[in-house]
Amino acid sequence: MVDFELTEEQRMIRETVEGFAREEIRPAARPADESGVVPAQLVEKIWQLGLVTSAIPEQFGGGGDERSALTGAVVAEELGYGDASIAVHALAPRLFAYPILEMGSDAQRSLYLKQFASERFVPATAALMEPRFDFDLTELSTRARRDGSAYILNGSKCFVPLADSAKSLLVYAATDSSAGFKGVDAFIVSPDASGVSIGEREKNMGFKPLCTCAVTLNDVRVDRAARLGGDGEINFSRLMSEARVAISALGVGMARAAFEYARDYARERRAFGVPIATKQAVAFMLADMAIEIDAARLLVWEAAWRLDRGEDSLKESYLAKNYVAASVLKVADNAVQVLGGHGYIREHPVEMWLRNARGLAALDGIATV
Amino acid sequence: MKILVPVKRVPDPATTIRVLPDGSGIATDNVKWVINPFDEIAIEEALRIKEKQGGEVVLVAVGQQTWQEQLRTGLAMGADRAILVRSEAALDTLAIARLLAKIAEEQKPDIIILGKQAIDDDSNQVGQMLAEMLGWPQATFASKVEFQDRKCTVVREVDGGLETVAFDLPAIVTTDLRLNEPRYASLPGIMKARKKELKEIPADSLGVDLTPKLKIKKLDPPPKRQAGRKVASVEELVQVLHNEAKVI
Repeated sequence: MVDFELTEEQRMIRETVEGFAREEIRPAARPADESGVVPAQLVEKIWQLGLVTSAIPEQFGGGGDERSALTGAVVAEELGYGDASIAVHALAPRLFAYPILEMGSDAQRSLYLKQFASERFVPATAALMEPRFDFDLTELSTRARRDGSAYILNGSKCFVPLADSAKSLLVYAATDSSAGFKGVDAFIVSPDASGVSIGEREKNMGFKPLCTCAVTLNDVRVDRAARLGGDGEINFSRLMSEARVAISALGVGMARAAFEYARDYARERRAFGVPIATKQAVAFMLADMAIEIDAARLLVWEAAWRLDRGEDSLKESYLAKNYVAASVLKVADNAVQVLGGHGYIREHPVEMWLRNARGLAALDGIATV
Repeated sequence: MKILVPVKRVPDPATTIRVLPDGSGIATDNVKWVINPFDEIAIEEALRIKEKQGGEVVLVAVGQQTWQEQLRTGLAMGADRAILVRSEAALDTLAIARLLAKIAEEQKPDIIILGKQAIDDDSNQVGQMLAEMLGWPQATFASKVEFQDRKCTVVREVDGGLETVAFDLPAIVTTDLRLNEPRYASLPGIMKARKKELKEIPADSLGVDLTPKLKIKKLDPPPKRQAGRKVASVEELVQVLHNEAKVI
């Protein structure tokens, strides 16, 4: 049966995170955009909400709550509504923790998940994107070659969030370049390992407070026990679907922020004696933005719903991500347009949201939270 | 220490309130409901006391079934259990205080902490009435609460300064704005809240006289703010402030 009703817990989570986003994250967004730094105190405060620890099993000190892609989408939308850069920074540890939670071997789970049951923020991340014009998830150029009981990793990664501070890194690499998704594996790598070099911080158009770096792997030797899942197989396609659902939900929140700001502005701003929201040229634009956001959310929720049922969501999550990427850009651009000249100056947040929207639309890498 | 925290459901302070055309109340469609912010401070204080010296935090509300939402939020923040005294009719402050006194007699808390007032009707009466009914000491408008054994010291915000009072437990404390900054419920807290006890008791089963002594006759929205006007010179400004605004 199709059902669009959130559970009581999901509604409460949405209200809590929405309130937090409005009161704590949004006021910090512009200063963070200007300074290029996400305030550490705010990161700790977000961590206290238990967004990462909630799903860690109780035996490892976490909340032991059932993980749900739909609940995750609800949370990501609200955080994105607050600020996308701060959201990605705060959720980056999931890039490392969740694949281990879902597909790690028992040894990996007990070794690494405990770290995340901490009172303090635990910086961790994953390296997926590669600096190639023909970057293709099914044909990673980062390779892992088996060498006895070890693997040797070689390749270049880019847009790795929190690469400068992460204590743990999950590196995606091809073990069999002819096998598509099935030939991709992930390896737990210490950023201090020999052969790993973290590049300079990248200078990006949007997501300015979010530190991303290139990571180069030069004959990095890891034990075969560092392969995600040990000797078992991992479902790379599912990990990517989960990531796409999360980043798409973030985009829905970004679009909602821009839409609401433009809508409220249009109700206040008067031209020719009436609020501009009553002019059709503006009203139609606002209506289109609202439609985009609701349509995008439904695509995201469907993809999340399939994941929660344990079904394949490759197509649905991909459609959602693509739709969100286009609509968040359109909505943010329209928001700037509704504000007119005011939208172009930095006193209003819409120009910042447009830059962030461009980032979300362009990247599948930061995009893989 | 066993701490009882009475909680009221009020419209979100961020909501724009519209008075019904007949003045009988406010329009409740599209209103988001929250825990009264002063009560939220009371819950936070209770949780901090519990974290420091152990004990139990019990929430109590008097209202309709929908009030469960606010009690669940309080449980998600960390309270241990909640009691909802069900009343479909709106009650006045005296009836609420009587019901709470009854609950307090049953639950035997060491201390009752509640907001100094609710942000909807700003009555600022329930804590004081409750203290009188129970014959307990009261410290209203608390900005600091400290304990030593069975003694409590409270710093109160009074006109033009602070007043420090000390008294024995059991007692009533009502919270002011600067007492603390309430925490947000965490995800694990929200998930656990569902499993915590939330007991409902019909208000008329407590043997309390609920007849209202007070009737709200009419609500008026605040007058619309007039547009400002520009003056040409400082002289004119002074004239206007003196003759029209009569502030200098």
